Amino acid sequence: MKRFLSVLLTIAMLLSLVTISAVAEEEAPLVIDVYDDAANYNGTQTGWFAKVIKDRFNIELNIIASQVVGNTVYATRSEEGNLGDILVVDKSKFPEIVEAGLAKDISDKLPGCENIMKFKNQIDVYNKGLTGEEGKYYGIPTEMTDTSPSTLTDDVIYSSPMLRWDLYKEIGAPKLETLDDLLDALVKIHEIHPENDDKDPAYPFSLWPDWDGNDNMVGPANVVQLTTWYGEKLKGSAMLKPDNTFGKLYERDSAYYKITKFLNKAYQLGLVDPDSGTQNWDNACAKMSSGRVDVMWYSWQVGFWNSVDRLNAGTAFRFIPVGDMQFYADADRYYGSDRMFGIGAGVEGEKYDRIMEFLDWYAGPEGVTFQHNGIEGLNYTIGEDGKFVPYKDNALMDNLPVPDEFGGGGFSDGNNAINQWIVSSICVNPATGERFAQKYWQSYKDMTMTEMKKEWSEMFDAEDDVDWMKKNGKLLASPSVDFTPAADDNTIAAIRTDVNKCLCEYTWNLFFCNSDEEFEAMWDEMVTQLDGFDYQTLFDYDCALWQPEIDAKVAAAAAAE
Amino acid sequence: MSKKTRSYVEFLYILPFLILAAFMFYYPLYGWVYAFHDYMPPKPISSETFVGLKWFQFIVSNPVRLADVGRVLVNTFAMSGISLAFSWFPMIFAVFLNEIRCKPYRKFVQTVTTLPNFISWVLVFSVAFNVLSSTGAVNTVLTSLGVIDKPIAFLSSKEHVWFRMWLWLTWKNAGWAAIMYLAAISAIDEQMIEAAKVDGATRMQIIWRITIPCLLPTYFVIVMLNLANFLSNGMEQYYVFMNNFNKKSIEVLDLYVYNIATSGRGNYPLSTAISMLKSIVSVALLFVTNTVSRLVRGEGFV
Repeated sequence: MKRFLSVLLTIAMLLSLVTISAVAEEEAPLVIDVYDDAANYNGTQTGWFAKVIKDRFNIELNIIASQVVGNTVYATRSEEGNLGDILVVDKSKFPEIVEAGLAKDISDKLPGCENIMKFKNQIDVYNKGLTGEEGKYYGIPTEMTDTSPSTLTDDVIYSSPMLRWDLYKEIGAPKLETLDDLLDALVKIHEIHPENDDKDPAYPFSLWPDWDGNDNMVGPANVVQLTTWYGEKLKGSAMLKPDNTFGKLYERDSAYYKITKFLNKAYQLGLVDPDSGTQNWDNACAKMSSGRVDVMWYSWQVGFWNSVDRLNAGTAFRFIPVGDMQFYADADRYYGSDRMFGIGAGVEGEKYDRIMEFLDWYAGPEGVTFQHNGIEGLNYTIGEDGKFVPYKDNALMDNLPVPDEFGGGGFSDGNNAINQWIVSSICVNPATGERFAQKYWQSYKDMTMTEMKKEWSEMFDAEDDVDWMKKNGKLLASPSVDFTPAADDNTIAAIRTDVNKCLCEYTWNLFFCNSDEEFEAMWDEMVTQLDGFDYQTLFDYDCALWQPEIDAKVAAAAAAE
Repeated sequence: MSKKTRSYVEFLYILPFLILAAFMFYYPLYGWVYAFHDYMPPKPISSETFVGLKWFQFIVSNPVRLADVGRVLVNTFAMSGISLAFSWFPMIFAVFLNEIRCKPYRKFVQTVTTLPNFISWVLVFSVAFNVLSSTGAVNTVLTSLGVIDKPIAFLSSKEHVWFRMWLWLTWKNAGWAAIMYLAAISAIDEQMIEAAKVDGATRMQIIWRITIPCLLPTYFVIVMLNLANFLSNGMEQYYVFMNNFNKKSIEVLDLYVYNIATSGRGNYPLSTAISMLKSIVSVALLFVTNTVSRLVRGEGFV
């Protein structure tokens, strides 16, 4: 009996295996490994975006996110000789990836991708620079625009001081000429707004250290971004001045000193959140969305507060001009941003065809709409004139539930985990004739033609931020050029790590100095230490590294005129 | 079976362990080759990338960088040293725990003190952040009581970093470490204690004359085991508690090596070179201990 049972069970098991494999053969989706330096999520793409691509291409994306699992994954995977099927990598790494034979020559298939080849000009320029040969393709730049290298489409720039409009008016809307005026205004704002509606303490500044050293810039991200308020842009470790020369960042006439000193003065006045040095971005972000921060400086940062309701109520953040500032801003990134798309060297045959088909869709109107606008009926609706109308614009902010027909789950959870686009959101959507980004839609402009906006325009006699800067001669727009900085070799990388570490450590301690004497003494100590860690070598290296880009920018600016 | 064949056969008994040891402890030493190459992924190492002692010179040739490594070594020694100096703490804790007469209360204390051992350091830090941040429980209570008017920055303080790290470590580990001693205490012969009681010994006298002497052999074994890990005091704890204010005093060797290999573009050769330093210092420590042992006990153990 036992024997009979076991035979029966075995047969049953075999049968079920056969049926499973038969079913699986029919619909097994193709799994594509995406090695991704841009992703903030590691693992299989889930939710609504997974459904979108499964329905269209029957593929699944397995995201390998170096930012999540650590940079070591780059070393181990390249040691294995297979980074992934689709590569989304930092631009500076791409040449060495091609050299090491980890990226595929896609010259045969790329010209057939009509959506991607709308950016032929940019793709040609990049690949010619990479290989020196015409018609040979390895990489596709990211976030390319359909405008021109010298256009500045945006009406706001990447970094500028922004205050809560209601609070600014409440303190009498003082005219600000210098950073000291800004501090005076912030002291008053802190007095009338010491806590948010939930009685949690609010501060003008709440900083976070976990982005330090990012984006090709040494030092705390919160400082190096703010130097652009005075027309100085950090290139690696060298400070690019408005006259296109380089200066050392620790000189006392550099904007780095100015901003560090400014933040220290703010601390001495009690305007800085005491948790600034120990909290991470998530903590800081939670404070921004709960009204515990009174100053913002990234253009995208207002997304954590400025909803249509708050714009109407006049409690939203808005750029407040400071007289002595001169803003550095990048023009449209016509030639693309700092990352590249490529195809893994091991991809062959049918898989290759399907990946290229997917990427071409990814750069096509439908794909781009999903990436930048989300789902019709959830994030936007289509008006009678065929143009898009915003709908539930808090879907990403509040991770709204997605209806089952679109794949279910939270909207933010199911959002495109590749987190990098081939096509910029300022490109024009052929379906509507308007740009993809919501803020350029006529319907959105009508919705947000608020009292606050009118008041601002009257007070500063300008249409928008960029208009004010242009009218008052405060804008230094830097044209887009195709330039790939060489990746650091080991020696430079080691010096850069030391310099960055030393600079971050001292700068954070400088923020929290209790007196000006202490500040100056510590600054001198920092200069000595930085010199000890070979700052001079790194500075010389960076000046030489970035000079070609500066030359190209100067030429592009002259050509545009 | 002749004596010779038998010894061959007996050798086979230990062969699996030799292979295991070779694989687990000697094979990884192959990774040291990276210290002699200019290795930068994705390019694999080859004869072209060989640079000899370049990375060792890189550390030694610059006095500031050398001082930096020195600082890290001082931190490592200091924090391991403090742990070692207080290594009697779990033993005393176990002794007093054993003296609690109310059984449910004793079980309660033991459970509560053992539990933190099973929490990861990341969670310990999130507890610390919620309790000690400027709006955390401690500052809120102190402010509402009127003791302070400005929140105290516990986590970003530069003062007494080594000692505070020891406190966290003890909070996490003391209960767990006490288990060994509790087992040893239960093995003490009851008759000795009974006899002492008959002779009129007080509780403190019993602890001092019987319990602790009986625990000392266990204590020394544990100290020896800890000594072996003198330089490897882990990195998780220091990694989660590290910030720009306490970095100078908190960076231990393991953490330093990790930071060099992973921050920015990462530098594997340099971090390998520095981690080799650990082996050199370990060997030096071994010789020192051996010499001390020879001087004290008249015989070394190597």
